[in-house]
Amino acid sequence: MKSTQYSEKVLDHFRNPRNVGTLEGENVAWGEVGNPVCGDLMKMYIKVDNEKIADIKFQTFGCGSAIATSSMITEMVKGKTLDEALKVNRQDVADALEGLPPIKMHCSNLAADALHEAIKNYRNQTKGKVPLPVVRGAKAPAKEIIGEKEFLKKGVYYTVDDLSLFKDKRVMMLDRGKKSLEIALELTKHTGRVIVVTPSKTIPADAELATKLRQSDVKVIYESEPLEIRGSEEVEKVLVHDLNEDEEYELFVDAVIIVK
Amino acid sequence: MPYLKERFGNPSSLHGEGDEATKVLEECRGTIAGFINAEPDEIIFTSGATESNNTALIGHASRNKDKGDHIIISEVEHISIHNIVKYLEKNGFKVSRLPVDQYGKINVQKLASRITPQTVLISIGYASNEIGTIQPIAEVGALAREKGIAFHSDAVAAEGLIPLDVKRDQVDLLTLSSNDIYGPKGIGVLYVRKGMKVNPLIIGGGQERGLRSGTENVAGIVGMSKAVEIMRTEMTEEVKRLAGYRDKLIKNILARIPKSHLNGHPTERLANNAHVRFEAIEGESLILALRDEGVSAATGSACSSKTLEPSHTLISTGLLHEEAHGSLEFTLGRFTTEADVDRVMEVLPPIVERLRRLSPLYKAEEVTT
Repeated sequence: MKSTQYSEKVLDHFRNPRNVGTLEGENVAWGEVGNPVCGDLMKMYIKVDNEKIADIKFQTFGCGSAIATSSMITEMVKGKTLDEALKVNRQDVADALEGLPPIKMHCSNLAADALHEAIKNYRNQTKGKVPLPVVRGAKAPAKEIIGEKEFLKKGVYYTVDDLSLFKDKRVMMLDRGKKSLEIALELTKHTGRVIVVTPSKTIPADAELATKLRQSDVKVIYESEPLEIRGSEEVEKVLVHDLNEDEEYELFVDAVIIVK
Repeated sequence: MPYLKERFGNPSSLHGEGDEATKVLEECRGTIAGFINAEPDEIIFTSGATESNNTALIGHASRNKDKGDHIIISEVEHISIHNIVKYLEKNGFKVSRLPVDQYGKINVQKLASRITPQTVLISIGYASNEIGTIQPIAEVGALAREKGIAFHSDAVAAEGLIPLDVKRDQVDLLTLSSNDIYGPKGIGVLYVRKGMKVNPLIIGGGQERGLRSGTENVAGIVGMSKAVEIMRTEMTEEVKRLAGYRDKLIKNILARIPKSHLNGHPTERLANNAHVRFEAIEGESLILALRDEGVSAATGSACSSKTLEPSHTLISTGLLHEEAHGSLEFTLGRFTTEADVDRVMEVLPPIVERLRRLSPLYKAEEVTT
């Protein structure tokens, strides 16, 4: 990123973002686009009054232009009807900001999409068509992972008796219920890097354990499943499938624990 | 800049100006050789570190094809090394990329297990230009020498920060740059140990022992040599000073900013490098906000790169993409003062807090630890 590539208007919205926050209550809906994996995640909240956007707030994790486009669009559509707001597209937002660097046009110009998502969700809600949250098969029988047997005892463990074995190792713990999560917590006493991979959307544990996990150094990767364990002689990395984005990526680790 | 004006001789010419240029060139060669404990005729001047890496890898691999077709590098090499070996792969060579631990350090036993009878070259950088982790170069050198395999090391990140010694470390090919030690741009060095067989990439009139034809960049060479002289005098004190700043910066960031982490090795790291990451915020926005406060830093975030890919170095230490996005690299140098470090600590915590307030990923209640 060259500093000169951002217009003054972008920098202004980045420095002083408008309408930051969340909304709750009646006639409120929100839309979310992006993914932390690609570096941008936007949540757009709208409060609708008589088919008009009475209030709008946003939260954004992302680069300068991701923040600026989110802020810009809230100013553009506040007070507009939902139909008018649906017509605002990525290009309009970029134009209102006096242009975006070409490389940023797609990756971090998602604010219009987030708004449209929020409007769609609002309309579904009022029609009573609230989509049921998809619960992914946390309870489904765990299938064997490619490479799991090949690397058994060479970085893959089905049981763990001596946690000190994992000192300073990057450990991936597959979510296999309460016991696996408790071991993950315990492991943080021996290594700074413990990653729990779970297909579910939230920490799949009771409130007490979930709080402990959140406050710990355990890193939880949600809505994901391991596809393949890779390495040469020993475990080096795991191919992870992001179920939400339907993307695959490699994560470098030293050990994988699959509690059987 | 007398070597661009009055003293304009070509070192290859036989006239008086040419003789003077040759004399200067050889003095510079001697100075730079002394900097890494090499012999003067083992120093080849190039257009910079990228060319040196190209000659070392492509030149050595193509020359020694009959001996084997296997090359080993580490996952945390500079992007130029990664791209050169991709090119070599397309041309029939096989490449192993050695994984690193969570601090970005290679394991020499693992390296040994990757060696095959076909291995002709190992290329491991002295230290990471990005996360500052220093590699066990002398151990790699001993292993390579014992196995009769050529060892190349890109020393650009380490020069001026670690005493380089090609004899002690048993390095066969070594890359140096000029601009990384405050010398002029467009000039670099490849050390080629006597007896090493390397093909030139640039063929012509046979300058630089035939390894790098073309009239030498005398002005650049004089500049680089001067930079080396200054570096040699100042290095010990300077490294001490920078390491103090580095430790202060890292200690304060980790202590004062919740959910912040150190990237790279806690102790075996370059004196000029502080590399940290913050949960739930993105690096480019951090850099933008810091720039408003007059602070320059870098990030491994994809959002600030040309390719929109996060740093391969951070990923190979085991970070998730979202964690690489939240990284911030401070490089300290000759012009860094203690006041700069204090300034960072003054502006960084509120910036992190402000950006986290914008972030849907940050939950205040999670910071009770």
